[in-house]
Amino acid sequence: MPRIDEMSDAQLVTSIARYNEVALAECYRRHGGAVFGLAKRVLQNPTDAEDVTQEIFLRLWNQPDRFDSARGSLRSFLLAQAHGRAVDAVRSSSSRRQRESRDALRTAEADYDLQREVWDLAVADQVSQAMGELPEEERRVIELAYFDGRTYREVAQMLNQPEGTVKSRIRNGMRRMRAVLAEAGVRGADA
Amino acid sequence: MSHDEASDLLGAYALDAVDGDEFAELEEHLETCPRCRAELDSLREVAAAMGNSVEPLPEGLWSQIVLRLPERQQDEEPPPMPQLAHEGRSPFRAPATGRMRRRRVVVSTIGAIAVAAASVAVVLGIGLVRADNKVSNLQATSPAVAAALRAPGHHVVDLESSSSKTEQAQVVVLPSGQGYLVSSTMPSLDKGRTYQLWAIEGNQPISLGLLGGSPGQAAFTMAGSTRPSHLSITAEPAGGSVFPTGPIIATGTV
Repeated sequence: MPRIDEMSDAQLVTSIARYNEVALAECYRRHGGAVFGLAKRVLQNPTDAEDVTQEIFLRLWNQPDRFDSARGSLRSFLLAQAHGRAVDAVRSSSSRRQRESRDALRTAEADYDLQREVWDLAVADQVSQAMGELPEEERRVIELAYFDGRTYREVAQMLNQPEGTVKSRIRNGMRRMRAVLAEAGVRGADA
Repeated sequence: MSHDEASDLLGAYALDAVDGDEFAELEEHLETCPRCRAELDSLREVAAAMGNSVEPLPEGLWSQIVLRLPERQQDEEPPPMPQLAHEGRSPFRAPATGRMRRRRVVVSTIGAIAVAAASVAVVLGIGLVRADNKVSNLQATSPAVAAALRAPGHHVVDLESSSSKTEQAQVVVLPSGQGYLVSSTMPSLDKGRTYQLWAIEGNQPISLGLLGGSPGQAAFTMAGSTRPSHLSITAEPAGGSVFPTGPIIATGTV
């Protein structure tokens, strides 16, 4: 077995299942910044994003078996969890926060290594390019749903469009993104 | 819900944009439909790629996570030890049975003693926390540290640089094995390096975990049987080492 910092994400999760706290620390080092970044983007509030980040890593500690490496990367798994938790928080707050226009996907320096940083930058680049290539009406509904934490029905109401139309646009846009990203060779961060 | 209806919803579902009855019905369908599950997995990868925007982590967040990790039951069967190897040597093997808790760290030897003890492996329960804000001399900023400094039987260990004999860090250790790095004046390390705390017991260093590049406060626990003679801090590559590779920055007698 390699050193902790040389272990794959899947090996780290196996170690976490054996109560190896250092393995959890390494997962946090690799993916904490992304979890926090997404939570902060959806919640628009660093304190709430910290709470979500804590919860995600505690959940990984308590239920490592929920991660199935055959179904995707650990980064994707953690981001899906973080996103779900963040939108729950957004929807439960009585008044939706004022959201300002956002910056494009941004990457920032974090305590993680160059290889992953390069991966993140490359993906951010490919993703913004892929999103830029989407038809405007598809990009819009995806962004409203994903980054603002709205349901597709809420998006339909907001844009005064039929629910079925919004649902299809999200689905088509996501598939288009998948094809573009696959062509660009982007897949989950595989540590 | 029919397969086609479910399939239409998967894009929105991957964005967490489905709720109510539809959500429940779709989850039910996913239970029984491997095709939809596979489609969902790939759409989730797309969603994750969109949401992959790394932010600098707030200081102290890791400490809060570690302090919330649940303790394991005393009678819980320890899981098998993962085999670790380092630089071609394999000084680690499964520990003897006995009371092992969560938080296990492999132990080996330091410097010259490495050869003699290379075949020995000891595993002890350890936890460790990334440090928080810097604090002045024994000033407790966290409730846990404040409580430790009031607890009966605690003792304070001063860690000094062996060359300059100046104090680099202070640690408080409780009889339970719980300990805290209370303060540090160690200089910040370059990116890609981290301080690592070790308990030295019978000439064997036991990793107490990583302190980060500019440590302040940290929490750690030692297994009840650990009786270190010294605590030492080394500088290691980011990610830490299974045994010390860097020079001892500071050391103190327990």
